[in-house]
Amino acid sequence: MDAILNPYYVDIVIFWIIYILLGLGLNLITGYAGQVSLGHAAFFGIGAYSSAILTVTYGVNPWISMIVSIGITFVVSAVLGLPSLRVREDFLAITTLGLGLIVQSFFKNAAITGGAFGIDSIPAPSIFGIELKNAGYLILSTVVMLLAIYALKKMTGSRIGRAWRTIREDETMAQAMGIHTTYYKVLAFAIGGAYAGLAGSLFAHKVSFISAESFGFSVSATVLSMVVLGGLGSIRGTIFGVTLLYFLPEIFRIFEFDLIDPKYLDIYKMMLYGLLMVLVMRFKPKGLFGNFGIKRSQFRFFRKAKAKEGGHVA
Amino acid sequence: MQDVLAQQLVNGVTLGFLYVLIAVGLTMVYGVLKLLHFAHGVIYMVGAFAAMVGILYLKMNFFVAMLFAMAVAAGAGMLIEKYAYRPLRGVHPITTLISGIGVAIFLENLFQILFSSEPQAFPEAGIEVSIMQLTESISLTNVKLYIIAAGLLGLAFLYFFLKFTKMGIATQAAAQDLRAASLMGVNVNRVVSVTFMIGSALAAAAGVLVALNFNSLFPTMGSIPGLKAFCVVVLGGLGSIPGTVVGGLILGIIESLSDGFLTGMIIDKDAIAFVILIAILLVKPSGLFGQNVEKV
Repeated sequence: MDAILNPYYVDIVIFWIIYILLGLGLNLITGYAGQVSLGHAAFFGIGAYSSAILTVTYGVNPWISMIVSIGITFVVSAVLGLPSLRVREDFLAITTLGLGLIVQSFFKNAAITGGAFGIDSIPAPSIFGIELKNAGYLILSTVVMLLAIYALKKMTGSRIGRAWRTIREDETMAQAMGIHTTYYKVLAFAIGGAYAGLAGSLFAHKVSFISAESFGFSVSATVLSMVVLGGLGSIRGTIFGVTLLYFLPEIFRIFEFDLIDPKYLDIYKMMLYGLLMVLVMRFKPKGLFGNFGIKRSQFRFFRKAKAKEGGHVA
Repeated sequence: MQDVLAQQLVNGVTLGFLYVLIAVGLTMVYGVLKLLHFAHGVIYMVGAFAAMVGILYLKMNFFVAMLFAMAVAAGAGMLIEKYAYRPLRGVHPITTLISGIGVAIFLENLFQILFSSEPQAFPEAGIEVSIMQLTESISLTNVKLYIIAAGLLGLAFLYFFLKFTKMGIATQAAAQDLRAASLMGVNVNRVVSVTFMIGSALAAAAGVLVALNFNSLFPTMGSIPGLKAFCVVVLGGLGSIPGTVVGGLILGIIESLSDGFLTGMIIDKDAIAFVILIAILLVKPSGLFGQNVEKV
């Protein structure tokens, strides 16, 4: 039992769960509602910081702060999602990317977030007077993850999920069919952000120290590549993509292969992510389990037809 | 106070020309392909490292090294277009976007392995940074003059290319309507390649000059300038070269002024560009000089 509950392995599993929550949130925004977001780390950071500030600065109970931080990210994400009403696709991508960088810059400079020093000694939640650490935290995260997956399944299978998918396929058509696109687009950002906020809250209480460095563009890009590899618009795909990309580098770390210098592991990991993003887009643009709409297959047909004539179409 | 203002204006114009050099490539690519080229910032970094390799290992003179860097970057830009973007033409824009981000992440990390992730000093290349006092409190370095000269030369080159060469006119036609241009017998793939090559070469020139100016280069140096170049492009109007020039100068001057006058802000000066970007996208998505883009 001790070998299995080795804190190192437990930490790996907890961070894996955190990435799954991040991936699910992003998949909801990008995969289901079709709103490209490159600033997902901002929501993650907002969740982590609100949980940390509430417990450390204001002495709120960790349980309450976790729940409140989900509410805070829900509201903030809805506000940050408002630009999605004005801009589309690639422009939305740079807008969300800019938002992510602005939020990170705020973490780095504002007084309330501890500036460059970050926030430390964030307490872990406790139950019946026992602090949830290691195995206890693992159980908590697992329960949270299962609930989150269940909720997402329910949501995407319901009327809301169908509205999102219709908007993703064709916004004008969705509007013509009487779907309130404004409401659903902002709702997607809010719920997707709340998932990331939950992940951030779990992260803050786990590591007990956070700083702006943990919420940069590389996190957004990593989560995006995981989601894309698994397939946009598929819960199964997201879990698979996160698991694959997350554990591949960890295998090298755990077994201490002599092939590569562990010092460079993170660099190799990012290289692999980048390469996979290019290759998956090229050869399997729907991802491994993707469910990203009919529109694309229509385009593919055009592309094939054009390719014979000389191969150029914008 | 006024001296600080004048000094910051000088710095701002220098910075602005750097942004113009980087952003012109993006705006041309957008003009022709309607594609946001996310790997452009990496090209800028590749240029700086190519110049370093040229000076250190190939014993080049600084100006030769700069031309070498521009050539390497042009090649890299062309290859990125050919292998990461061209196969995805006509597919959903999200796919090219992700592909470009993937290329950027891959190259950034590859260079960290090749050249270590620590900042390095730019090698001695027979160029010494000399300071000129314009007045008692306003100074200018020769590197800053090179930056302004490179910006003006780059723009002059673009003007002549677009106005007087066959390929330039083809590029303009392609920017108007890619499909119509291809029906008129323009080899669109070649136009796109040339667009990427020119844009990449100009970005590389900016990278080399920045490395020389700050005497440091590192594999992630391109990410923030590359993203800011998007802000410049959106500010000036997508696809409009005059707009990019104005946008670049405006952003450079705003950043320098905020650096000189506002301290202890809640966001740092790098984030100002993104605040401007979002404001412009929300208020006037076509930018200062853009035509109304239907897509936005």
